[in-house]
Amino acid sequence: MKTLVAALFLAFSLLARAEDVLHLYIWNNYISDATAARFEAWCGCRLKQDYYSDNEEMLAKLEAGAVGYDLLVPTGNAVQTLIRKGELKPLDPSRLPHFANIDPAYLTPWYDPGNRYSVPYAYTVTLIGYNATRLQELGLPTDTWALIFEPRYLEKLKGRVTVLNSARELMAAAMRYLGHSVQDTDPKKWQAARDLILRAKPYWATFSNSTYIKDLAIGNIWVAHGYSNDMFRAREDAKDARRPFAIGFAIPKEGAVLAVDNFVIHKSSPRPDLAHRFMDFMLQGENAADVSNLIGAGNPNAAARPHIRPEVAREAAIFPTAADLKRLEMLRDLEPKERRLLSRLWTEIKVK
Amino acid sequence: MRAPTSPARAPERLTRWLVTLPPTLFLVVFFLVPAVIMAAASFRQPGEFGGLAPLAQGGLGLEAYRFVFEDVIYAWILAKSFAVAGLTTALCLLLAYPLALLIARSPRRRRNLLVLLVILPFASNLLIRVYAWIIILGPLNLLYSPVAVIAGMVYVHLPFMILPLYTNLEKHDPALLEAAQDLGAGTWTRFRRVTLPLSLPGILSGSALVFIPVLGMFAIPELLGGTGDLLIGNLIKEQFLDNRDWPLGATLSLLLTVAVLAVAAITAGFARRRKEAP
Repeated sequence: MKTLVAALFLAFSLLARAEDVLHLYIWNNYISDATAARFEAWCGCRLKQDYYSDNEEMLAKLEAGAVGYDLLVPTGNAVQTLIRKGELKPLDPSRLPHFANIDPAYLTPWYDPGNRYSVPYAYTVTLIGYNATRLQELGLPTDTWALIFEPRYLEKLKGRVTVLNSARELMAAAMRYLGHSVQDTDPKKWQAARDLILRAKPYWATFSNSTYIKDLAIGNIWVAHGYSNDMFRAREDAKDARRPFAIGFAIPKEGAVLAVDNFVIHKSSPRPDLAHRFMDFMLQGENAADVSNLIGAGNPNAAARPHIRPEVAREAAIFPTAADLKRLEMLRDLEPKERRLLSRLWTEIKVK
Repeated sequence: MRAPTSPARAPERLTRWLVTLPPTLFLVVFFLVPAVIMAAASFRQPGEFGGLAPLAQGGLGLEAYRFVFEDVIYAWILAKSFAVAGLTTALCLLLAYPLALLIARSPRRRRNLLVLLVILPFASNLLIRVYAWIIILGPLNLLYSPVAVIAGMVYVHLPFMILPLYTNLEKHDPALLEAAQDLGAGTWTRFRRVTLPLSLPGILSGSALVFIPVLGMFAIPELLGGTGDLLIGNLIKEQFLDNRDWPLGATLSLLLTVAVLAVAAITAGFARRRKEAP
């Protein structure tokens, strides 16, 4: 039924004016179909989405000359890169009357002082998702990176663990487990992190950036390193399918990566007017709440709070406590030399 | 002495030019120029945000090459990719040959239908077909393993082996086999002495059509492979799409191109020798 409606809607919108199209380049699983449909109805235009699963992938495509996207949804470090490269159009505050809804704690971040270019949309934590039923049977902890790095735990989980296929994210988890900052680029510490990863790798099933959602939900995988919103989706999928197990997710006590994702307007945007309308629509409390209610991401929008389902708002892995926030760090961009070194460590990790 | 040009010759030459010019231009613009750009990029420096650093600032250098050659790991990945491509080609050949033979020897009316069935999988998207393998291999506990990668590679590339083989086998003159039979050759001898040698060009072109794309394939190892199934295609893709290090990616691509050209040259030399042999 839902697909039929969507198909009819698509057919009608194709028949209607083809010019009013907003091109959004966004993380996979980051805006719900319901929100997108509501925006289309409200604005009388069409929202066309392309997806990426890693900031680096999005930056690389733009670097290779991709144009025609109105809005991007980069994480903080990628926002900074895009600003420094001059890839973004400044926002027009007069066209964003609902900008005041943003929680002051998320205003004027280090990557964009004064929010000249970016509107915070949602935040996620890179953490551990797990099959709570299985882990309880096995008597394993759920709140530590040791679960994916320590052979004494992994022996019970062989072939049931996936980690992100992202050099930055996996190294960050290893660095936190070793007690370092994720921003530390000391080659010696990186090598120690690589050794930690290599020791654990034989127990892992694969590197995965998106298939872990399905694998967790159907029970193929018991422990996954990934994003909080993806774990939320896996948990809901498992619930909907009435699986005989429950999915849980928690921020490891050693600390983790926090990603604040933002709407920004690309300089090649053909329709900055639609982009502003979209952003202001998404800034309104009940629309902003969708990303928490339906996607399971944290919310920087204060006006959204009353609309967020209490069981989501209570979830510490989606809305981290003040104590957790102290252990969360954002990634910063690397220099070309550091990137090349990291790439070789990553290749070694993949091959050895 | 120069042969007098007949009035008919000039337009003929013009036609020949007009016919060969578009494909030549196409190859120059879409193959030669990008190849030169890539070769040039391999000597440059990576830019601060990816791409290439400005020439004035970065200059030219052999750093990317030094980086690749100072660690045996890249040669190892290239060798492993060749092994995977070789194994895939061999398995495709083993599976495709009997099938192509069967199609070529079935009644003429049914052949087109059978060929249609061979190319039918192309009607759906490659990634969807690979995702289907995730569902097939998952319960068998074979997912995320080298076996899964080979299975996916063979499945995807099989039609590229069947079609050239079929095209070749279909043209064989049945009279040759009858003659061999009349001379007392058994089934096996007829195959070994008549069909197989005649089908060598089909085997060679089919093998090239499988071997070369498999060398550069990155989607299948990424979706079906485990933690160790990194091939040269993945590594190159990573340099451009994840790591934003174009010079390193260009260097690795160039090494792959050189390796592929070497294989193509060997194959061509082999084919020529066969043709020259009596």
